[in-house]
Amino acid sequence: MRKINKILATLCGTTVLGGLMAPGLYAQDDDWDTAGFVENASYYRDGPGLSKFRNTGQFEFSKDFGDKFGFQGFRLSGTLRATYDGVYDLNDDEYGNKAGGSRSFENFNSTNAEIIYGGNGSSPWGQSILGAGAGPGFGFDLATNPNQGLQVLGEEFHKPNGGVTIGVPVRPCSKDNRGCGLNDIYMDNSLDDLRFPEFNDNHDYIRELYVEGSIPFGKRSELFLRVGKQQVVWGRTDLFRVLDVINPVDYSRQNIYDELEDIRIPEWIATAEYRMGATGVFDDLNVQLVWNFDEFSPNNLGQGGTPYSILDASSFFRSMNNCWENGCTVSNFVPAQALIAAGAPLPDPDDPGLVSADFGPGVIGIRQANTPDWELGNTQGGIKVEGIYNAVGFSLNYYHYYQQLPSLHGGIEAMNPFTGETGTWDYLIAFDIEYPEVDLFGASLDFDIDAISTVFRVEATYTTGEEFANTLDPQLYSESDMFRWVLGVDRSTFIPFLNKTRAFLISAQVFGEHMLDHELERAPLGNVGIPNWEDNYTATLLVKGWYKSDTISPQIITAWDHQAKAGAFAPSVDWLINDNWRVMLGANIKFGDGMKDQKFDDCRTCNPFPPFTASPGQTQPGSLGLGGIEPLGRFRAGPLASASKEDEIQLTVRYRF
Amino acid sequence: MLKRNLTRIALALSLGTGLAHAASVEDVEKSFYPYKDSVPQFEGLEVGMTISTTNVEQFKDVMDEAIYQQVKDGWLEVKVGETTSFDLHPSYVEATRKGAAQVSLGEELGQINDFVAGRPFPQEPDLSDSRAGEKLAWNYKYGYNWGDSAAIYPFYWKYRDLESGKIERTLKFNFHFLNFMHRTAQEPVPEFADNPSEIFRAIYVQVLEPFDVKNTQLLIYRAEDDQTRDNTWLYLGFQRRVRRLSSGQITDSFLGADIMIEDFEGYNGRISDMNWSYKGTKNILLPFYNHNDMELATDLVEKDGYQFVEFGGKGGCFPNITWQLRKVYVLESDPVDDNHPISKRVHYVDAQTFTKPRTLIYDRKGDLWKSWLIGQAHPDHHLAKNKGTGVSIDDAFSMVDVQAGHCTTGQFKGQVDAELNPIKLFSVQNMRAEGR
Repeated sequence: MRKINKILATLCGTTVLGGLMAPGLYAQDDDWDTAGFVENASYYRDGPGLSKFRNTGQFEFSKDFGDKFGFQGFRLSGTLRATYDGVYDLNDDEYGNKAGGSRSFENFNSTNAEIIYGGNGSSPWGQSILGAGAGPGFGFDLATNPNQGLQVLGEEFHKPNGGVTIGVPVRPCSKDNRGCGLNDIYMDNSLDDLRFPEFNDNHDYIRELYVEGSIPFGKRSELFLRVGKQQVVWGRTDLFRVLDVINPVDYSRQNIYDELEDIRIPEWIATAEYRMGATGVFDDLNVQLVWNFDEFSPNNLGQGGTPYSILDASSFFRSMNNCWENGCTVSNFVPAQALIAAGAPLPDPDDPGLVSADFGPGVIGIRQANTPDWELGNTQGGIKVEGIYNAVGFSLNYYHYYQQLPSLHGGIEAMNPFTGETGTWDYLIAFDIEYPEVDLFGASLDFDIDAISTVFRVEATYTTGEEFANTLDPQLYSESDMFRWVLGVDRSTFIPFLNKTRAFLISAQVFGEHMLDHELERAPLGNVGIPNWEDNYTATLLVKGWYKSDTISPQIITAWDHQAKAGAFAPSVDWLINDNWRVMLGANIKFGDGMKDQKFDDCRTCNPFPPFTASPGQTQPGSLGLGGIEPLGRFRAGPLASASKEDEIQLTVRYRF
Repeated sequence: MLKRNLTRIALALSLGTGLAHAASVEDVEKSFYPYKDSVPQFEGLEVGMTISTTNVEQFKDVMDEAIYQQVKDGWLEVKVGETTSFDLHPSYVEATRKGAAQVSLGEELGQINDFVAGRPFPQEPDLSDSRAGEKLAWNYKYGYNWGDSAAIYPFYWKYRDLESGKIERTLKFNFHFLNFMHRTAQEPVPEFADNPSEIFRAIYVQVLEPFDVKNTQLLIYRAEDDQTRDNTWLYLGFQRRVRRLSSGQITDSFLGADIMIEDFEGYNGRISDMNWSYKGTKNILLPFYNHNDMELATDLVEKDGYQFVEFGGKGGCFPNITWQLRKVYVLESDPVDDNHPISKRVHYVDAQTFTKPRTLIYDRKGDLWKSWLIGQAHPDHHLAKNKGTGVSIDDAFSMVDVQAGHCTTGQFKGQVDAELNPIKLFSVQNMRAEGR
């Protein structure tokens, strides 16, 4: 399908545009509806400094050809976008070819490590006490996997605190390809891919390109068709994607904070919409069929070493892929006493601490990301029935799709580092990334309660097939049905002491999520099971005002994650200097708990290789619950707390034409 | 709520007065053809003259309060044109003849009985009739303002600084109007089938420029039952979503203009939202003219050669058009809702067309806030397609915020063309389809 994608893109980009647009532009220039902008977005982050220097050019065009090919209102529309993000050149110590460095790894409270390594006892990458010589699966080649260009997983957010951490290669894949082997399209970006994200094999500079038209059925009814690379938006709420799941999302642009229109990843989709208009008891009724015939794309979670990596998940994935392909050092992995009991010649036999381990390739980690091949049976689609009944807008939705967030499946073939034996091992942290099939059943409503001048928006979905990490399961994941809902409330309210003549928009939302098959058990050393919260609620509040004919618009957005006890506060001012120039100045400040405050079972005590990995009294594989911040605390922290160190000042200047 | 209840009690008590006089054929003739025998005169006022700071005091009595003050302050000069008859479409007049005698007000504000089509209350309003204002409001609601359907296609709005004349923003729209019911000229007559919620009228607005608001769309459904709240939706291009608007957003600035959605066409709301008072009949100067005879703008020229009305005066806030001495009904409306951002509007309703070419808007303290002008062009001296349509064409507007020193001006290309307003256009789903 990727080939089909290329062919379609090339065809559309050359033949179709060449055939339709060029002559049209010359012959009927003013018949083309065109618009665009160039923009610079410069963000400064507390700590690392410049985190974005994104220069974007966008050009939109459309033309209505009237009645063509049996359609009424046959129209071609497209959006081209090109971006250069200079942060990888201007702040290359943090995000470019010079990012990262050599790193040492914690041996928590280990007296032997202090004796061997001096100082605080941290051991350099690849030189752990449990390393080469301990078994066929320990140790790795520092020549191919050197101690350079690394960060410690989560180092921007927390200290190891006795938990596991892993080294993350953080330079672009063209400079350092360690951890870039998940998939040829997933988290393998070169420096140029990061600088110019649209110029890739998928031709993403053609952001949207579609044709549409309608076939009338009487005065009120018609069949409306739209085919091409496009965004299909379902739902009625902001920020939260409860029903808005058809297009995956590019979180690498600015985490969850960019407008969804700019970060939805357009796909090749066909929609057919039978619009009945007013019929029966409905003021408006239509049925929409959606067929996403593009090759599956997951959400873009960024890449280890890039400034926007939601949940810092891509750092985790990159570190784990490097573990699988080249080996890695994992801090605080083994009790020193276990090594002493196994006969390791350590100077202090009473060492109470934990020591790092150097795993060789093919033992732990993430082997690959398996995205569904393109074939007809793997395409995604759904149906929406939408209408207005008695002044209440409603929709009923069904969509079958692939989970857009990765699911880590254990149970892949890996090496027992102690014996060299290859096999599949329960509870071993060796994974493939999979994208399971999901069925979504949803509904939405909007209505106005006039007595309080307030509009309510509601969305709810029930999904089956989603997968989550689960340390109770031998393959370390399980499936759970999910119920999600959003209640949104919008009200225009005069705040006279701030503005006597223009109301403020106050928009509040609460997002709820309930995991129906949540599993969590108490083990001797801590909780084991699914790290995600069984129930969680996130609230947002927008207060937006307008002054000087709406040319100056200050706003405040706040968000609060109930379980993570974390929030974000984003004040901004938007100044339309004139019809062409616009300046936006804002900040994004996090408050409350951070990632460091969330811990979960990290599977150090999963005992995948008994008896070598058994804790005292542990005879069978399965976790005893010893945990830390990494790697699963991020799933409890959520997108707000896991970005707790990403406070920013943001300036955007845009020229529209 | 207390205010609404008191209003209802007052209305119920005055019910007998409201039913006092059924319309006659003579009433209909006088209502639609007030200038058949003669046109209004005022001493010293002559066609072709200009009223300016030098002679404004002489003509104070034929000007509304705001225009008088603005001429006095030198903000604009008023060129006097010949008073002409703006005959509405014969089908609308005929519908009035057929139905007016049987129409009556209901017991409550916002209720009407036995209305089919045309002008519900063509009788001359009576100051002794406590519900005369309400009847005028019904005449406006069921007026032939844009006929059965029409489009302003395109429609330019300019935001201007009154002092400096600087044009801060220029927005380009398409506006579409469609009556679902009480139609008289365009098929289907008298109404569309399949109208389960009994929508009387819909307005669909599409923003074409500039880029930051491009693809913004507005859809308003006004129910036949006046006591049912309008349904209003906004499509935001940057969100690609249709959002329902609360009533608070109807009475707030629309896209930063000096105009709220409720101001559209003079008044764009329910009768039930206001208390209506008839204050008398006068002859005053109103912005009625022949578009093709005016000094027209040389920018924004359309491909078909159409030129928009030019603006001038202080800050470029006033259309360069001529004014006619016309018969008006002075109609006050004050909001039922105590939280409404205005205290009242004073409408100068053109007695022949029942358009609202002049409306003065007062803030909550009772001070003049905005001066609202909608220039009316004769359809026979406009686009060729408008000839004979019997629609008084809204052709130029000016909303001057006299407190903020700011104005929004509008330049129309009004087209009475059913083909531009297919019913499919007036649906929420169409907003999604049009909006990318």
